[in-house]
Formats: sequence, C-alpha cells, structure tokens
Amino acid sequence: MSETAVAVEHHADHAHDHHGSEGFLSKYVFSTDHKMIAMQYLFTGMGMAVIGGFMAYVFRMQLAFPGISVPGFGQVSPGEYNALVTNHGSIMIFWVAMPVLIAAFGNYCIPLMIGADDMVFPRINRLSYQIFLLSAVILLLSLFVQGGGFGGAWTAYPPLSAVGDYNQTSLGASMWLVAVALEFVAFLLGGINFITTLMNSRAPGMKAYDIPLVCWMIVIASILFMLSVGPLIAGAVMLLFDQTIGTGFYDPARGGDPILWQHLFWFFGHPEVYVVLLPAIGITIDIIATFARKKVFGYKMMLYTTVATGVLSFFVWAHHQFLAGIDPRMANVFTVTTLLISIPIAELCFVIIATLYGGSIRLTTPMLWALAFMAEFLIGGVTGIFLGASGADIYFHDTYFVLAHFHYTFYPIAIIGTFAAFTYWFPKMFGKMMNDTLGKIHFWGTIIPFNVIFIPLFVLGMGGQHRRIYNYEHFPELAGEGMYQLRELATYALLVMLAFQLVFFYNCIASWMRGKKAGKNPWESNTLEWTTESPPPHGNWPEGLPNVYRGPYEYAHPDREQDYWPQNEPA
Amino acid sequence: MAFPKPQATLRSATGIPTGRLAVWWLLASEVVIFGGVLGSYLMHRLGHPEWADAAIHTNTWIGATNTFVLLTSSFTAVLAHQAAERGDGKTAAKFLLFTIGGAFTFLGIKSYEWWYEISHGYTITSNGFWAFYYTAAGLHALHVIAGAIIMGIVAFDAWRNLELQRVELIGIYWHFVDVVWIFLFPLLYIAK
Amino acid sequence: MSDHQEHHDDGHHVNYFKIYIILLVLLVISVVGPIVADVIREVTGVAWVATLLTLVTAFGIAVYKAKLVIENFMHLKWEKRIMKWMLTTSLLLMALMFAGISPDVMNHEGNNWRNVAAEAAVARGIDSGEEEVVEEDTAPAVEVAFDVESMFNIVCATCHGSEGLGDGPAGAALDPRPASFADPEFWETRDRDRIVQVITNGAASVGGSPLMVAWSASFDEGQIQEFADYVQTFRPN
Repeated sequence: MSETAVAVEHHADHAHDHHGSEGFLSKYVFSTDHKMIAMQYLFTGMGMAVIGGFMAYVFRMQLAFPGISVPGFGQVSPGEYNALVTNHGSIMIFWVAMPVLIAAFGNYCIPLMIGADDMVFPRINRLSYQIFLLSAVILLLSLFVQGGGFGGAWTAYPPLSAVGDYNQTSLGASMWLVAVALEFVAFLLGGINFITTLMNSRAPGMKAYDIPLVCWMIVIASILFMLSVGPLIAGAVMLLFDQTIGTGFYDPARGGDPILWQHLFWFFGHPEVYVVLLPAIGITIDIIATFARKKVFGYKMMLYTTVATGVLSFFVWAHHQFLAGIDPRMANVFTVTTLLISIPIAELCFVIIATLYGGSIRLTTPMLWALAFMAEFLIGGVTGIFLGASGADIYFHDTYFVLAHFHYTFYPIAIIGTFAAFTYWFPKMFGKMMNDTLGKIHFWGTIIPFNVIFIPLFVLGMGGQHRRIYNYEHFPELAGEGMYQLRELATYALLVMLAFQLVFFYNCIASWMRGKKAGKNPWESNTLEWTTESPPPHGNWPEGLPNVYRGPYEYAHPDREQDYWPQNEPA
Repeated sequence: MAFPKPQATLRSATGIPTGRLAVWWLLASEVVIFGGVLGSYLMHRLGHPEWADAAIHTNTWIGATNTFVLLTSSFTAVLAHQAAERGDGKTAAKFLLFTIGGAFTFLGIKSYEWWYEISHGYTITSNGFWAFYYTAAGLHALHVIAGAIIMGIVAFDAWRNLELQRVELIGIYWHFVDVVWIFLFPLLYIAK
Repeated sequence: MSDHQEHHDDGHHVNYFKIYIILLVLLVISVVGPIVADVIREVTGVAWVATLLTLVTAFGIAVYKAKLVIENFMHLKWEKRIMKWMLTTSLLLMALMFAGISPDVMNHEGNNWRNVAAEAAVARGIDSGEEEVVEEDTAPAVEVAFDVESMFNIVCATCHGSEGLGDGPAGAALDPRPASFADPEFWETRDRDRIVQVITNGAASVGGSPLMVAWSASFDEGQIQEFADYVQTFRPN
C-alpha cells in the first residue's frame, strides 16, 4: 500500500498543474470534474422539468376547458393529448427525477461528503452525462417526427406500443423507446461509478457508519436500479424488434405474451419508485439533522430499514397489474408484500419525527422543504394502502385516484426533494446565499397550490373518473357541473403554482448575481463538503484531502461550546 | 496516460482494487440483462411445446464448435492475465491477440450459421423460437464484438507495459461472455 | 498501480491448463449426452430416463462449467465475500423474476381465465409440426375451435362492447367513439360488404376513423365473414 501513497502524491500534483489552464469547452462542456457534471445534470434536468411542466399546463387546460385553444400551444387534438400525457410522465420520471436526485446530487455530494477529490472514473462519469443528453435530445425530437410523439402512456404496454397500426406513431414510439433505453445505459454507468466511489474512495478514518445518510441512500438506490433495470433493457430490445422488424414477442397469436412486457416493466418500475424515493429521504434526513441541531435518531436503524425497503421493493411489482389478467393467486401474494412495504417506510418517517423531537429547530427555507416532503409524502403513502389491496384496487384502478396517489409520492420526491436539496446546497454550489424571504414565498406558493391541484383529483377519482380520457364531454356521467368545477379548480391551482416558479428562477439568478457571500459553512453543518471553499475548486480540497474522526451528525455535543463538530476536526 | 487519475481512483477502502470492483458490478448488471432474456425465453419455451419443432433445426455441431472456440479464448485470456501479473506486457499482449482471434473466429462461425439458417427461411420473424434465438445470440454477439474492441485497446497498452491491471479486468469480462455462452449453448442447441 | 497484483500472488497457483482440459471434456459429454438419450429413448422407450439424461448433461454440466470458469478463471474463489454476495443477489433476483412471471406466461389456463390465443398458437404449431415432433407426454393437443361469439367478446368488445353498443371499456377513450351496432342511423349507410371491407382493411379504407384497424392479418376470410354475420345480429329491425 505504501506504493499507492507515492503514486497518489504524484498524481495529485499532476492534476493541479493540468487544470490550471482550461479553456471554456474543457471547463464547462467536456469537464470531468464531478461538480461540473453535477451542474450539467442539474440544469438539463431543470430544463426538462420546465418542458414537462409546460405539457402538464397544456393538457390540464384541455381537461378543464375542452376544445379551447390553449395559449402558447393551440387546439389539442386527441393524438397530441396522448403524446403530451405520455411524455409528461416519461420526462418527469426519467429525465427529471432520476438525473436531478440521483445523478446531480449524487455527483455533487458523494465525493465531497466522503472526502474524495473526484469520482473514481471521471471519464465514465462524463460519458454517462453525454449519453443522457443524447437520450434527452432523441426524446424531444420524437415529439416532432411524422405521426407525432408516442402516445401509449409511459408504461408502453403492448400491443398498443408494439403495433404501429394501433398507436399511429410508429416512428415516435421507436424513438421514445430508444431514448429510454439510452437513459438506462447512462444511469447504469453513473450507478457503477457511485457505488464504487462510495465503497473504495472514502477519506481515511471514515468507517461505514460515518458516511452521511444521503450518500448511503443514493448508493442503495443505484444498486436497486442496477439490479432491476436489466430485464427491462432486455424487454425493450424485444419491444423494439416487435416495432421495427415485426417479431412477435408480445403477440399471443404468434407465441408471445403481452403480459410479459408488463411484468418486465414493473419488475423495474416498482423498484424505480424507491430508486428516486431513497435519495429524497436521504436529503431530507440530512437537512433535518442539520436544522434540528440534533443527532439523527437511529442512524443504523435508518440504514437497515432502507436496505429492507430495497429488498422488499423487488417483491411488490405485480400490484400494478391486478386488473391486467395476471394469475389471481399471485395477486394475493403481491397484496401482502405491498402492504408489508409500508412498514419500513413508516419506520423512516418515525425516525425523522424522532429526530425533530426536542431539537432546536431553525425554520430556514431548506428546512421547510424537508418538512413539507415528510407531510406530503405521508398522504401519498397512506393512499397507496388503498391501491395496494387488490380488492379496493379493482374499483380504483386507472382512475384519477391512482393519478393523485402517485403525484402525492412523486411530487414530494422529485420537486420538493429537489428544492430542499437545491436551496440547501446552493451556497456551496455558487458561493452565495439565497434570499430567504423570496425562498419562503416560493415555498408557500408551491405547496398550497400543489395540494389544491391534487386533492380534487382524489375526489374525482373516487367519483369514477377514468384516467385516459381526452374530453369528458363525451361522457354524460363524468361531465356534471360539480366535476367540471373540480377540474377547473385543479387547473387554476396549476397556473398559480407555475407562476410562483418564476419567483424561484428570479431568486436563483438574483442571488447568484448579487447575493450575500456564503462562507465555508453557512449552515454550521458537520459534513465534509462544508469544510472546503464555496464553491469548491477542482480537486475539492487544494490543501490536501481531509481525514475523518467522527460520524456526520454530532450536533449539540454536551462537551463542546460550539453546537456542531465537523467530521474532519481532530478530537 | 494523458488523463491524470484523481486520488479517488487510487484509494481502496474495501481492499479490492477499484477497477476490479467496478467490473464485477458491471457484470452484476449484465447478469440481470441476460437473465431477463433467458428467463423470458425459458418460460415461453416451457409454455410452448411446439417450439421444439423449430429448435431441431439448430445445428448442435456448430454450437459445440463455437463453445470450443470461446473456451479456448477464455484460456488464452487467463494466460494473458498470468503474464501481466509477472509484469510481462509483451506476452500478455500476445495472448490477448490470440483471444481476439478467438472472438473473430466465433463471429465468423456465427455469421456462417446465421446465413445458412436465414437462407433456409428460418428468420427472426418465423416464430417465437427463432425470435428468441436471434435476439439472445445477437445480444451475446454484441458483447463479443465490444469485448474484442476493448481487448484491442488493452493489448495495445499492454504491449508498451502500460496499464497492465486492465489485462485482468478485460479477462474477467471475457470469461463472463464465455459463461453466458455456456448457458446459451444448451438452451438453444442441446435441449430439443 | 501494481498494488493489487500482490493480491493474486498469495499462493493460489491454479493449473489453468488442467481446468481448460476439464472444460473441454465436459463440453464433449454435454454434446454426446443427448445423443445417447435419443438412443435410449428409441431402444428402450423409457422417455423419462432419456429426458433426465438430456437435462443433466445439458444444464447440469453447463452449471458446473460455469462454476469452473467463474471460480478459477475469474478468480471468484479468492475474491472478498462481498463479490459473492453481489453475484448471488443478482442470481436470486432472476429466480424471483422467473417465479413471479412464469405463472402468467407459462400457463395458458387458470381457475377463471384462459389464454385462448396462446392455446391456439400451441395447437397450430403442433398441427403443422414435422414428423419428428416432441415427446408424446409434453404435448396436450388443445382443440380451439373458432367461435365467433367468444372471439367477438375478446377482440371487438373491448371497444364496441359485448352488446355492440360501442360502450366497451377501451372504446371510452377513443375519439370518435366506436360505432354502436344497435343504432338504426348506423345501418342507413352500411351494408354487409362494407362491414366486411372495414373489418378486413380498416375503417380508414372507406374514409372512417383510423382507430378501427385492419384485421386481415389476424383472421382469415371465412372468419371475417362470420364476424360480419355476427355484427348484423345487433341490427335493430
């Protein structure tokens, strides 16, 4: 090992000489620095979120005011409506939640929080972003090809997705599928990088239980992703062959089976929910520990519970298919496992509440977001119980109840979790503090309309409103006055929420231009990323990488005057 | 060596070299990809006894020859690793070239076999068995091609005694490709 | 950069050549095994012995060969435990996937459901099979006659409804709505030839909605005629 140490010194010197003189391209576009790649992921993800949000605006307008010429889009045809909802779903999950929560914050936090100067494979990291960018471009192009974008829902069930005669968008469907497959490849590469970095590149002295929970969560999520996505990649190849060269993998008349796709999709699709959930929980717990000035209640318990969630998440996939014609005996099994998985998730919530209990809470903007994550996600979790029980699901299946349920899980994860993380690490990323007042205005302007959008949808779903309908005027039983009022309410709330995002963008730009300068550690946090400059230079710690002496959550230690105790401070 | 490695790459908290750890994770993700194809194939095959009529048209002898070729190339890959451990880059590169030769032989035999089958009317759209046959073997052949290309790069470096640890990594990957074929062979050729 | 090479030098010198020879011998056995099994089946007529021999020589040996390669060539024998855990986990997940999916894909019949299309595919395949068909006990010939009413309920009723009212569950989302066959107006402009034409080539061929697709690939002419007759039974007098 002594040989390694020598090599380390040598390379470190080399690295700094090399990066002294960078051009614009090598610094911002083809950078191998994990922080720059994180920024690239973050801004690509945010750009995609704007596009996905615009799609939501267009189809919500169509639903509330059927046939209206939507400002900024025009009249919505049924085919366009299908393409909009399909791509809204795909974009928000694969091109917003995944790149922002896992790739962006994983890239930014893991090396900084474990005291390394970069990811273990910087060039693979860069390649992963480039593939991701390519996939995003292909997806966006697919909206403009002949026949329009794919409209067979983000789950792409065959035969609708497999046969061009049925979906009328054969080119769009193939491009959509290729884009999703490329995106998976990008995250496989990224995931291997995260896992290896966490396992091998920790700072000297950092033991397994000294790693901040958010790093653990991102890595466990990457492992879940890696182990679940394989069958779907195989399935996507098969579906692509069905679409393009006319095989019959999913055509029962030719020896295939359409249910197979649903299984392969959800074998990935359900762990995927936890893939994006876990990083959000990790971010939340880190923020809550920092602003409650308290040690996380049950670090190990949290970690083991997460692993248990990960394992269980592989056993629940068929609860998406209770009505798809699966074997009824399997439906019983999957009901039980689905209800079981609420136990570890409840445990995670209790850990968060117990951490808050008795803390001296500072209600900063990131803390508000973290608390909101908890509250809103709970609603999503509780309504999931209804859907997980196969008996109740027969009634709720494919109604707006399902839709409201998963927006109450994914919105806290992808939007609230992202805002929490973004406002928390903004001082580190850009070296400036965000304006707290504007931040709070944006917070309330997002949270309140969010609930006003989706609570009416629960009610509509209970009233039997089916999900995939373009114009409710064709259905007298769904076109009542009361139902239209609820739909309009949801749409108005969406407009308000979108308008408040302008406050956020203004706040970002204004704070970045002329915000108060942030020091190294504005939140008085313990973890390693707060011990270097804001923003950190290439190589993270120019004066040498830190050593670690204690766990990440030593707040309010009784023997110390200061109420925090950075991980790298010798005892 | 234009690219300076960060210190992170050179650390090893687990005691396993970073490259080897990453290759094993890569293989874990490959296991589930091939597991998805082969699992789907297996359950269809068991549910469709009539596929046996299609399966008898595969040529066991060609399959066996290809197994032999891949096993031999695996053997030379492990010899290359042995040479790299001794620090003998030139010998390692030579053995890697043998392995690449094995890859090309495999692909040559495979293309002859496919050409023969396609010209006899057994195409990917003929029925479910042939669809899985071409998809599974094609996915495997893609891995063979990728492996051969990477091995060429590794051999080029090894010849100049650079990055010798990569000889082992590409070897591990190559053995995995071999193992996949070891399972494809009975599934597609022997079980009729 | 050479630090990890010590790792392999801690005294486990495998005789790679020996392993290679064993692998080749196993390869020969796995090829010869099924041939011997065929001979046994023809001579003695005991099918299960032959099947067992095929399975063992084909898959048992494949597993053993893979074990040899993974342990010795890939050095898993000397790796840390975490690698073995990793590999085992991914294999177990594949077993889980198989266990969860196969009840739906493998079986064509359950307590209250039947996969008619798959049964038909099996029956068709076995009918057209050449003389060297599979062992007798594995091929329960399934007779699936074409029954226009049940086929209508499977294929057409999803949009048109089982009563032909255009109220099928999938049709609810379509624009324009699927035609109702009980609507007298509908029949003012239709005759039997047009119905056949639409089923065969899709409604777009007569200027209708492209959502009613062509079915000529799935059904032959006689069957389409039967569908047309069946559709006419919904016609109000």
